[in-house]
Amino acid sequence: MGILGLSKLIADIAPTAIKESEIKHYFAIDASMSLYQFLIAVRSEGAQLTSVDGETTSHLMGTFYRTIRLVENGIKPVYVFDGKPPEMKSGELSKRAERREEAQKALVKAEEAGDAEQVDKFSRRLVKVTKQHANECKQLLSLMGIPYIEAPCEAEAQCAAMVKSGKVYATATEDMDALTFGSSVLLRHMTFSEARKMPIQEFHLTKILENLELSHNEFIDLCILLGCDYCDSIKGIGPKRAIDLIKQHRNLETVLKNIDKNKYSVAEDWMYTEARQLFLEPQVTDPEKIEIKWTEPDEEGLVKYLCGDKAFNEDRVRSGAKKLAKARTGATQGRLDSFFKVLPCPSNISNKRRGKNWSKEESKGWRWKISKTKMSINIFISILILTILHIL
Amino acid sequence: MFEARLVQSSILKKVLEAIKDLLNEATFDCSDSGIQLQAMDNSHVSLVSMNLRSDGFDKYRCDRNISMGMNLGSMTKILKCAANEDVVTMKAQDNADTVTFVFESPNQEKVSDYEMKLMNLDQEHLGIPETEYACVVRLPAGEFARICRDLSQFGESVVISCTKEGVKFSSAGDIGSANIKLAQTSNVDKEELAVTVEMQEPVTLTFASRYLNSFTKATSLSNVVQLSMSPDVPLVVEYRIGEIGHIRYYLAPKIEDEDNN
Repeated sequence: MGILGLSKLIADIAPTAIKESEIKHYFAIDASMSLYQFLIAVRSEGAQLTSVDGETTSHLMGTFYRTIRLVENGIKPVYVFDGKPPEMKSGELSKRAERREEAQKALVKAEEAGDAEQVDKFSRRLVKVTKQHANECKQLLSLMGIPYIEAPCEAEAQCAAMVKSGKVYATATEDMDALTFGSSVLLRHMTFSEARKMPIQEFHLTKILENLELSHNEFIDLCILLGCDYCDSIKGIGPKRAIDLIKQHRNLETVLKNIDKNKYSVAEDWMYTEARQLFLEPQVTDPEKIEIKWTEPDEEGLVKYLCGDKAFNEDRVRSGAKKLAKARTGATQGRLDSFFKVLPCPSNISNKRRGKNWSKEESKGWRWKISKTKMSINIFISILILTILHIL
Repeated sequence: MFEARLVQSSILKKVLEAIKDLLNEATFDCSDSGIQLQAMDNSHVSLVSMNLRSDGFDKYRCDRNISMGMNLGSMTKILKCAANEDVVTMKAQDNADTVTFVFESPNQEKVSDYEMKLMNLDQEHLGIPETEYACVVRLPAGEFARICRDLSQFGESVVISCTKEGVKFSSAGDIGSANIKLAQTSNVDKEELAVTVEMQEPVTLTFASRYLNSFTKATSLSNVVQLSMSPDVPLVVEYRIGEIGHIRYYLAPKIEDEDNN
């Protein structure tokens, strides 16, 4: 799941690259980030919500209400689904399968012992998002008129490509490797429940690189050293050591030449070059070819889909659909960043150096089809990644 | 060494009152020309720009430019300790990590000083270009506060449309809609009670009423408020601070979706 200890490392070394903002003010979002999270979190008395015939509906519940909240707060989400995992992830995936088995065993044990707390804990660990969950979700999203995209491979990589091309403003995920893939802005905790009152964390890649004094390629090497999903890390090298090594040697090849082989055992067939390649050139659909379109929600369709077998409350679904429709027609709050430019020299307080680039072009608001140069425009889109493959 | 003495501490209190709704902390940039503050709120929708000129102070000394990051909540607590007629002096050493507020009672019998820790704030200064606005409206500050308060009961947004006849504020929501029209005052007896409109072209813009309401916290600073608007650019709401400076609020407009146009 992403890069080991990266967020902590960034917080230690490059604190200015992280901004925290209050939920109400900022993008004003928090909704559970993925089907996976929904399946774990949206529960009633410890059990998942189910339809009449016992099918789980937690993920639909989560997607429906959280998306409405995002939309109400002026954010236009685009959901990106994972495609098939890259081959190099198989190691990580089999490890996850092992952990799952362990959890299964522990669950059985806990059930025998009648320890309710443990049962709850382990059953949450056993949650698995299936193709069916994903498909149901896609169907729901299309009824809601929310765009979604299927990534050919990793969803984070696809998001990063879309952020880079300026199609969307930021990637919202808990997975830190979105940064490694080159996503310039990453939002964390965006999809958490409002009740948790977690501030949204905003990571800016350029600031991170500036503060770490690394280039993007060196940053990728650092992430591989920290431990990513695609290959093993070196035993005994923690975050502190990793950053020192990269700063000293600038790439993994030189690091390997220079570290004490007796102290740190490096696997013979360490696949770091392949992993690096994967980060540099991930398999993605060309963002320019993706058309993101928001459409009118289909109220009747939603009622039919959610209120029949899935036993949602019809009134609530209808009012949700109305909220969606209202948010679609309502105006979006602009942000000052798109009107005024940040001055290069922060300590400068004289009036002489005021920026002159008041561009009317850019003040016309956000748009879906945005050109590359307008990356920082006030698009309130963010991608919610459905990390369906988290535990597959 | 930085030292600024203000005979009326009430001005400083009111300034703080006017910004603490939008900002939790802010950097006071002090130079020999005066004290400036510029900061956006968390959501980057509005910006506060405050200027207190050095000549407005009783005594002002600033040897080297310093930036003092202050927690506005803490600063409010300290200023609550001053009586309105107290004389206030702000002091800081060069490169200091604290600032001292000294309050002297008018009869010099009571002197209190409060030291406050400064903060290191990550500050971004925005370049705000000098702009000719298409519409400039002046109206009594109290009237504006009243309008914002009344309209915010109806909806989240306030539409401000300005024509040569006058200015119209409107809002609509679940319970219905509201419109308030102000005509230009024909004969100006008292300047602070007049409504004036200087207009090149008519403008209609939509703003979040929540922010407008926060701006009106500055009402006690000035009798008159000035609204400047141009199509598709932020609104400027300006209040004068006595003879000593001004506070300006910038607010990004709400933008209609292109898809729906």
